[in-house]
Amino acid sequence: MSSTKRYWQDLSELEPASTPVKTAAEEFNEPMPLDQVLADGGIAGSTTSRRDFLKFLGFSVGAAALAACEAPVIKSIPYVNKPEEITPGVANWYASTYYDGEDFASVLVKTREGRPIHVQGNPRFGVNRNPATGRSAVNARINSSVLSLYDSERLAGPMEVTDGNPSQRSWEQADKAIGDALAKASAAGKRIVLLTGTVISPSIQEAIKVFKAKHGLNISTGDPAVSATVGGAVDHVQYDPVSYAGIASANLKTYGKWAFPSYDLTKADVVVGIGADFLSNWGSTTENTWQYTSRRRPEDATTARPMSRHWQFEARMSMTGANADRRVAVRPSQIPQVVLALHDAVASATGNSGAGKGQLPEGIAAAAAQCAKELLAAKGKSVVMCGVNEEGIQVLVNSINTMLGNYGSTIDIRNESPFFRGNDAAMAQLVKDLNAGTVGAILIHGTNPAYTLPNAEEFKAGIKKTDLSVCFNSHADETASLCNWITPDHHWLESWGDFNPKAGTFALAQPTISPLFDTRQWGESLLKWSGVGQDWHTFVQTVFKGISTASWDQCLHDGTFPGNAMATEPTAFTADLADAARRATDGVKEGEWEVEVYTTEALASGLHANNPWLQELPDPITKVTWDNYVSISPEDLSTLTGKSFKQLYIGQESPAQVLKVTVNGVAMELPAVMSPGQAPKTISVALGYGRGANGERVGRAACLRNPDGSPAPVGQNAYPWSALRGNTMRYEAYDASVEPTGRTYAIALTQTQMTGMDRGSIVKETTFTVWALNKPEEYNPPHTLAVHEDVNKDGKIDARDQVPATSINLWADHPIEEVGHRWGMSIDLNACIGCGACITACNSENNISVVGKDEVRRSREMHWMRIDRYYTSDTHEDTEGLSWAGKLAAMERPSADPTVIFIPMMCQHCNHAPCETVCPVAATTHSEEGLNMMAYNRCIGTRYCANNCPYKVRRFNWFNYVTEDFGQVNPAWDELGRMVLNPDVVVRSRGVMEKCTLCVQRIQEGKLEAKKQGRPVKDGDIQTACSAACGYGAIVFGDLNDAGSQVRSGRDNPRGYEMLEEIGTQPNVNYLVKVRNSSEGDNHQA
Amino acid sequence: MSLVYRLLNRPSRLFGAAAIFTFLLIGTAAHAQVDEAEYGAGEKLFKANCGSCHKPDKDMTGPAVAGAKERWDGKGDVHAWIKDSQGYIKSGNAHAKQLFEDHNKIVMPPQPLTDAEIDQVLYYADNFATVNAKKAPAKEAPAAGTAEPAVTWPWWLVIGALFWIVLFSLGGVRKQLANAVREKQGLPPEKDLNTWGRIRRWASRNKGWASVVVLLFVVWMTVLLWNWMFNIGVYGGEKNAHYKPSQPIAFDHSLHAGKDNLAINCQYCHSGASKSRHAGIPSANVCMNCHQAISEGPKTGTEEIAKIYAAVGWDPGTMKYSGEQKPIKWNKVHNLPDHVYFNHSQHVAVAKLECQQCHGPVDTEMDQVQQWSPLTMRWCLDCHNTTEVKVAGSDNGYYQEVHRRLTETPMGRRELKKYLEDEKITVRELGGFECAKCHY
Repeated sequence: MSSTKRYWQDLSELEPASTPVKTAAEEFNEPMPLDQVLADGGIAGSTTSRRDFLKFLGFSVGAAALAACEAPVIKSIPYVNKPEEITPGVANWYASTYYDGEDFASVLVKTREGRPIHVQGNPRFGVNRNPATGRSAVNARINSSVLSLYDSERLAGPMEVTDGNPSQRSWEQADKAIGDALAKASAAGKRIVLLTGTVISPSIQEAIKVFKAKHGLNISTGDPAVSATVGGAVDHVQYDPVSYAGIASANLKTYGKWAFPSYDLTKADVVVGIGADFLSNWGSTTENTWQYTSRRRPEDATTARPMSRHWQFEARMSMTGANADRRVAVRPSQIPQVVLALHDAVASATGNSGAGKGQLPEGIAAAAAQCAKELLAAKGKSVVMCGVNEEGIQVLVNSINTMLGNYGSTIDIRNESPFFRGNDAAMAQLVKDLNAGTVGAILIHGTNPAYTLPNAEEFKAGIKKTDLSVCFNSHADETASLCNWITPDHHWLESWGDFNPKAGTFALAQPTISPLFDTRQWGESLLKWSGVGQDWHTFVQTVFKGISTASWDQCLHDGTFPGNAMATEPTAFTADLADAARRATDGVKEGEWEVEVYTTEALASGLHANNPWLQELPDPITKVTWDNYVSISPEDLSTLTGKSFKQLYIGQESPAQVLKVTVNGVAMELPAVMSPGQAPKTISVALGYGRGANGERVGRAACLRNPDGSPAPVGQNAYPWSALRGNTMRYEAYDASVEPTGRTYAIALTQTQMTGMDRGSIVKETTFTVWALNKPEEYNPPHTLAVHEDVNKDGKIDARDQVPATSINLWADHPIEEVGHRWGMSIDLNACIGCGACITACNSENNISVVGKDEVRRSREMHWMRIDRYYTSDTHEDTEGLSWAGKLAAMERPSADPTVIFIPMMCQHCNHAPCETVCPVAATTHSEEGLNMMAYNRCIGTRYCANNCPYKVRRFNWFNYVTEDFGQVNPAWDELGRMVLNPDVVVRSRGVMEKCTLCVQRIQEGKLEAKKQGRPVKDGDIQTACSAACGYGAIVFGDLNDAGSQVRSGRDNPRGYEMLEEIGTQPNVNYLVKVRNSSEGDNHQA
Repeated sequence: MSLVYRLLNRPSRLFGAAAIFTFLLIGTAAHAQVDEAEYGAGEKLFKANCGSCHKPDKDMTGPAVAGAKERWDGKGDVHAWIKDSQGYIKSGNAHAKQLFEDHNKIVMPPQPLTDAEIDQVLYYADNFATVNAKKAPAKEAPAAGTAEPAVTWPWWLVIGALFWIVLFSLGGVRKQLANAVREKQGLPPEKDLNTWGRIRRWASRNKGWASVVVLLFVVWMTVLLWNWMFNIGVYGGEKNAHYKPSQPIAFDHSLHAGKDNLAINCQYCHSGASKSRHAGIPSANVCMNCHQAISEGPKTGTEEIAKIYAAVGWDPGTMKYSGEQKPIKWNKVHNLPDHVYFNHSQHVAVAKLECQQCHGPVDTEMDQVQQWSPLTMRWCLDCHNTTEVKVAGSDNGYYQEVHRRLTETPMGRRELKKYLEDEKITVRELGGFECAKCHY
């Protein structure tokens, strides 16, 4: 039975003698830092005698008592002229839109007294919203972006850079200088290049037209492959740091469109991802995620709309792979073969011409054959997505989808997605042109090629050869610091904007704060330099009026407005399959060590590196923070370094092994992190790290500073390992060399302390087939305990006399059931994809301190909620023929290809909370509404509660994190960063315990609103930050005493179980058993 | 007698007195010349029709009315102008046009007054200054403060003194009697010790009792110290001084909110009280709702109101905003520690408490606001412990649902029974004692 699978959290758990197993029973795996505290005051080395000490003590107590007698005078400064819509103390919410070239979402922005403090999905409108549930998805990058608004390293105004030193100028000076230079370039017949990310804003497109009309002939052909090569004009080059040009180029070949298709996973019965991390970092993730999860709840499955079946072929265990029903680890060189094999199987079954057979090892070939069989059974209701940025492979994928009849249902190329229009060939040509000196002026917005290009040095050399280079980036980053002028754009929360994220849908962005610095929206700058003096707000409105006849105010209120979409019928498919197959395998050879570089959930392409919340967000799989690393399979690392698993354990005092990896002639030394499920002899390294290595001011947290002021970049830049092959940027290499260095490097992981192994009440998982039998006792058996009573009436009192664990009660019941409210949470493990948006939402709502790498390494991270990741193996407890110890060891043995489960974990708000009974000062007590309350000012910091908490969810403030010591990482330290704090939640100080409150401030606010309106609290009125951030319904919050509430139905679901129910804590949070749509053989590669 | 004599002998002083007398006489005579009936009728009409834009003696939105007749003399018909100013401008009167343009082209609406009534208004305005000069001879001394609480300590002193006198006399009598006895018995008189010596003698003779006294004294002092420490930093309430910081503007609450004065509703200015956690110090633009028209107060004249004008950048001369703003830095009176969450709207909009319950008689007694209640946690909880929440038969749907859950479920009924042991459901029983209601 699947429910008897074993889970482990860290490989070291396989070694019972290892440190984490030994320390697992303790909340903090190191003793109190007494030495450090003492050393701070220099007491240890001082010569103060005991008598002197007592004198000082007496004096300071007296002085403190005297000082306490006088209350300070507090000034209170009201508005002189209060804006009508602001009531101090009441939040205003504005609909807006987030788009940074990589992520898109319609959002609501919460502002307090004019400061944006929280971002969540727009529950009423937008493409990222599930219309059936009204839940809206944002990922961690989007809801964290509010913090980057308050980055004190943002440029304060336009800068002129001379010899690498930026000095501030006025906008008049900048406009004059840039205007003159542009006119000069234009008059001299030199090319002016506008280098941007993918533009999806109608107003920006309009502004670019105006700019082109002013400064050159508009001879753009519309074909992006050509436009960059046309000289003597204004060229608009779009460049994505992580490219999808292979897909666009394949669609140009097969459908005549340079475009990324629009996917609809709600219609997909079978989803196949081939190296595409589509839930985290590939395609329109905010759409993909809700669409995907809408088909993952077994309760929603019908014959016509079964629970979807998800296949994933990939090298690295990605977050998407962790969610798959069947994941197959393949090396990058095998991916073209997997596509060929699928293509061949589908072609022969549908009577189409093939493109050659794939050559795969037996296990993978069998998996591919099985996958093809399932795809064919779901014709028109399946989708194949491939992440390899190569035209030939993508043509084959298009062909598979065409043969399966998926165009028009799950894929729409007619109404293509506007995202990812970047053209690698055009970018490469631009670098050549720059170096050839044919570019007169370059204007760069929203991209950072000096950091993201593998040939960044060439780009850097080329940009020096232009007469004028202007960058709109908000920081003096790698690219901006090379330009003559930096004319910083507003942060998106200060901006007006419009977007066309999908055919037939438009979205509007509105400012939620006055610009903090002397910045200007880049569209307005373009207009200004084209001689149009219109402000951007008016311009966006004018463009809006050209698109829609709807009311501007209404659309601004909604954040979105409709346009016209074309019918979604399939378009004619043409392709030279033989050529595609040749291209797909051209240059692909099996190497000894293969490498792929990837983008992470937190930082994506590196755009968010300046955000401490994201730097401290643990990777969904490896749980690493504040670093990038080599992801490698345990066996490979063990062979490579000759060390055992125990020796490879990473912890506070156990640093990671450093490997030297050479790719494309570029060598880097990176720490190695074991990742079970990684394809053999394959390593993966994350992009987006190593910003500001040359001392550029790229933003707080992206690049820390050493005490001497020299840059200490977070991680290392892996972009040099990507390479342009053919016309597209490729993110895999087949001929890397990997060698051990013998050195070690401290790396900060969260959540390695706990063993979930032997306890079936932490993780419960089953298959759809078992679930469908409708016998909860099979997949969700209650825990029973033997009692000293003849329960089974067999005349004997023995171990068979068992009663359900929940029926035994040591304490009197709290009177919360049926009386008043009983706040609770229900967490559906089927809907949780492990993305971590809830963690960052919680950070933002509850003023959670960022503590930095060193503290995280000491297990002192302050996150109130975490997502536990458990690997599974197929070894069972009932394994025959092994000793007890041997059985344990066998159960702990890693499978080369495990499945992964994510469990969001926060305070369980136990009705019989072990923490409450041990607090000597009653600082943590139980409320009549089922909450486990924590009064910070009562806490004296004994930490008994944390030690007694079986869920390990309590966090202790070891230091005052709002001090200069943590100033580099903690946003609450500087004046600007402090503006992001939620004024309804206290900032905790040193020496107190804290933990999840179930967002009690939101509960109180929701209740008060109901009282003021004279009505009961409606289900859904009150959302915790995490449940509001989860667009997939994985976290449902509400009143368990409300019979009709969603959380009540979650509680009563037969899949429901309580974490560690056998210890009788009676939590108000419950979990729903994970149901995978897989059969028994799926967990192994056959 | 002697005064008259001296006056008679000092001609210069006599002259002075005569001069004052004459002046007063003339003044009274001038006053007597004002026709009370005409003046009163004019005042009534002025207040009903003109007062929102005009002042009798000063420019406001419109010009000062006093002297209008002279100003119009020979230039046009003041009656026609007042009755329908726009019509009169259209008729082509140059002075009318000039006036209109001089006063920012603010249209004066037509006034339904007869010529006689207009004359009454003008009469009132012309004589306003004279009458008021008489009426307000001097600024009245500020009203005496609130009645002092009955002072009883001098009486205690007197009683104490008497007690000691009696005690000493008795002591003396006792000593003399004792010595008399000793003398009779042939013993030398008792050694004459001072008080301290006697105490020591008593203590050495009664060690047990002395220890008890010393112990009691120490305990008593400790208790006193302990209780004193509880009041460190606590203001307000019956035992402690009320915190009454000075303010940048001498705003008088009793004048604005007092029911005998302007009786403005508290929430007209503190509009956040029913909507937000903060009642809010009103922004200066709220002051300007009234003070655009009222530039002079009864107590401080123009001085304090001018500070509002400075803050909002209002020029009372030109009746325009200059755009220069300067926020007012008030001194916060009611301070709660950061770790306490208090929400006004819960208490004002839901519990429907009067502001005065916590803030004291702001409207009647406080010219300068003071912290009335101690705002300690005990003070909060004392109220939560005793205040009844109307749950049964409440017209608030939220409490109806609370009541339903209490009455329709077995567990609820059990709880309800416990709640009703003191025959009422208090805030405490609905969770008003729980930490996370105020601390998060």
